[in-house]
Amino acid sequence: MKADIAVVGSGLAALIATRTLQQAGRSPLLIWPGLTSLYFTYATVDVLGYADPTTAEPVEQPEAAIGQLIADHPDHPYALAGLDALRDGTALLIDWLRAAGFTWQGSLARNLLLPTAIGTPKPSCLVPASMAAGDLRRDEPIVFCGFAGYQDFVPELAASNLSRWWGRGDQAVRAIRVPLPGFDGTRLFTSIDLARSFEDDAFRREVAGRIRQQIPADGVRIGVPAVLGLTHDMDVHSGFMAEVGHPVFEIPTLPPSVLGLRLFDRLRKHIQESGVEIIWAAPAHAAEVSGGRCDRIFLKSAGREQPIDARAYVLALEDTVDGALRAGVHTVSDPFFHRSLASHAVPTERTDESLFNPQPFASIGYPVTDRLQPRDDEGGPLAGNVFVAGGAIAGYDPVGSKSRGGLAIATGYRAAKEAMAA
Amino acid sequence: MPDTSTGVVVIGGGSTGAGVLRDLTMRGIDAMLLEKGDLASGTTGRSHGLLHSGGRYCVNDLAAAIECVEEGRILRRIARTTIEDTGGYFVSVSEEDEAWEPRFVEGCRKAGIACERISVEEARRREPALSTQVRTVFWIPEDGHLDPFYLVMGNVESARRRGAQVRTYTEVTGFLKEGNRVSGVRTRDAMTGEESTIACQAVVNATGAWAGFVARLLDVEVKVVPVKGVMVVLSHRVAHATINRCHKPGDGDIIVPALSVAILGTTAVKVPHPEVLPIEWDEVRHMIEEGSLMADGVSTARAMRAYAGVRPLYDLGAEAEGREMSRNFAVIDHEQRDGVAGFTSIVGGKVTTYRLMAERVTDLVARRLGVTTSCTTADVPLNDRGDEMDQLRHRPAKLGMPKPHGDERALQPLLCECELVRPQDAEPWFRDPAVRTLEDIRRRTRSGMGPCQAAICAYRLAGRLVTDRHQDGPTATRAMADLLETRWRGVRHVFWGSQLRQAQVTAGLHLELFNLDRQLMQALPPSLAGEGRGGGFETAEVASQR
Repeated sequence: MKADIAVVGSGLAALIATRTLQQAGRSPLLIWPGLTSLYFTYATVDVLGYADPTTAEPVEQPEAAIGQLIADHPDHPYALAGLDALRDGTALLIDWLRAAGFTWQGSLARNLLLPTAIGTPKPSCLVPASMAAGDLRRDEPIVFCGFAGYQDFVPELAASNLSRWWGRGDQAVRAIRVPLPGFDGTRLFTSIDLARSFEDDAFRREVAGRIRQQIPADGVRIGVPAVLGLTHDMDVHSGFMAEVGHPVFEIPTLPPSVLGLRLFDRLRKHIQESGVEIIWAAPAHAAEVSGGRCDRIFLKSAGREQPIDARAYVLALEDTVDGALRAGVHTVSDPFFHRSLASHAVPTERTDESLFNPQPFASIGYPVTDRLQPRDDEGGPLAGNVFVAGGAIAGYDPVGSKSRGGLAIATGYRAAKEAMAA
Repeated sequence: MPDTSTGVVVIGGGSTGAGVLRDLTMRGIDAMLLEKGDLASGTTGRSHGLLHSGGRYCVNDLAAAIECVEEGRILRRIARTTIEDTGGYFVSVSEEDEAWEPRFVEGCRKAGIACERISVEEARRREPALSTQVRTVFWIPEDGHLDPFYLVMGNVESARRRGAQVRTYTEVTGFLKEGNRVSGVRTRDAMTGEESTIACQAVVNATGAWAGFVARLLDVEVKVVPVKGVMVVLSHRVAHATINRCHKPGDGDIIVPALSVAILGTTAVKVPHPEVLPIEWDEVRHMIEEGSLMADGVSTARAMRAYAGVRPLYDLGAEAEGREMSRNFAVIDHEQRDGVAGFTSIVGGKVTTYRLMAERVTDLVARRLGVTTSCTTADVPLNDRGDEMDQLRHRPAKLGMPKPHGDERALQPLLCECELVRPQDAEPWFRDPAVRTLEDIRRRTRSGMGPCQAAICAYRLAGRLVTDRHQDGPTATRAMADLLETRWRGVRHVFWGSQLRQAQVTAGLHLELFNLDRQLMQALPPSLAGEGRGGGFETAEVASQR
């Protein structure tokens, strides 16, 4: 199969690269290796939450902080992609979200600080409008509202933690729990069940009424699990807020992530309807390189190996979740060029003793040139027409700094631009 | 003036201590169990879960083999729901193994172990997982899987129904004496530091590998040799039945399908202290290599975690080392041996023979107390007063097969999707004062023991600590972090393949979505005493080796 530019990946970086190419009038082919992390954990676009691993102080102005980061660390992927790629990529994403029917809030100038389902404050940059009212820089008291029979959001846990960590006193946060219509005391609900139920007007009005009964005072805002609709979420959120009579904000929950499902399914559908071809569930596993260029890559599809011949390739994979890396017992290698990216005498070297510390394995990936090409041992490009974006770039760990989304945008955008020029 | 009193204090919450507690109460003797960590958190809960037919001992340790045969049959009567009757294969994969076969067959005959040689073709028809290297197969119908957690909880719950008291995270720090007679114990709560005294007429030291430390508090010596065994957990059962190498028992020669997973075992290394159990990469690798000789799929299965346990081998003074040492047990009558009345130790042995060990030591203690009621534990089932046990501990089979239409209950969301634990399976344990950490919930429900290693259920469990136990958020969050950390310590040793993907999901959830990174972790209360950290006899030297 021939293609103009092939983008391999299933996360935000792949989507940004594909959209960038499409907007530039090119014909990208999106090769989707499998289930995306968007379904598991994605909820917001975090650009830079913490400036360095030792601080507990969240970044307030991500754009300025990234400028400083680039000056201090010229090898950082943000430096390689450039601040312009982050700005332009973010503008492209915001336009795209609008075109796809989403309303998002936030800008690179200022982070929001939002409560998580466990009651920690978390800095995020771009968020669905349905989450924005949770911003902890505002002063209104918060009421966390859970649902009897739904175990993936525990309002009492979130309230108890946030009241200690927010610094607005014990009265500023409380928890309520309302029974859901049809709940008989034994049945349990998943996020998806509830998201579908909330699209039903009668159900939603009934729940809103039950919440209203428990909150007599004005001037509070209500935090609910992110289950306000699966496909018509904007209508569900605004309708629900009017019915409850208070500002309502969604909080991301345990997987499956309704926010991730909404985001990905709609962006995918939108890009497909606007003419981009997608090859589904086909992990790429080999590349043919000659004369310093990649001639073709090979996909594992049903029962056969499918070659893809493109002029350029964007590898926008996310670490190991979607197959960017293969981890053997001693060696981590890449599935395209079959190069060793890291080797370890014993597997424990890949991890820290504590789950909550930075993990060595998270930094494993492709070393890249300043044009985001995978690098060979001499430092030159392994293949001049291949570009890497997102989590598969070596040498940084987006987890602690809360920068996964921003890095996906900046490198996805830059890799697409480079691919067009290759 | 002691704070409370009981008839007999049993120290140690493993299978032996739990068995003694039950036996005492069934003879009408008032008893209290003290455990410095959680029930089944030491040797018992870290065993490989093999219900021994006796086949592994029948050549070198005939007496132990015969005990296994008899006790295995008794356990099938009294602890039916803790056992899966898998049967087992003993396989030869080399000429050396084949040379062992006549001795094995003869040993089985002497011990009374049912043993049938079947053709390799027939064996592979029954058990397609057997490797192509297998040359000879013996079918041993009485090998099986014994759930060590369920066994301990079953004994303890049975004893509690008869009035026994149980204190977990309660370490014995000293003894009360009247003349040469033990009249009570001093204790300290491993979490709160609270001290207490308990008056009693007798003390049973059932602390296994820790027995020497307890005895030393009375200036008497009990020589127990702690021998480490490392095990690897695979994410599925691999085989239908247990598989043993037919050879002189050695490292990595056993595969136990245990509920939803398979356990590869094990090694035998003397250690300086029962809580210093480092897992070496060579041990993990060896386990997988040796397991692969017996069953296909061991090397390609997803290894989920590794863990180490400690055998409490009793030093009979012989020159034997590690695996050569007898698996037999001994009751030490300290009144007779050391002139310390009211103190008895039970050492050695194994989980399969826990009931017999309990019977023997309880016989002695009862006699000294003038109680003539005889032992009934071989006949009365653990769940003799209804099926509370079954209600407390969910079995996957109870969920039934989800019906394609209509039966919503069969398709209920679960507390732990990996291990099919329902919320109602955990609920009663949140009301049990002996349950102090989420690790304790895990041991009683299996929540968090599957492929995601608590990544999902940890949040739900932490929520229960707030709603059901009225803990504050930071304390519950610390408990959640502790559960994830103890799981992580096992995951790290098998960190390849799909494990990296799983870890990315775990990190994505807890570090990114919940923002529970190091900075916020530091704002939580300190870690509670948990698995392997129950206070106790840990010295600075031990702590430094951890």
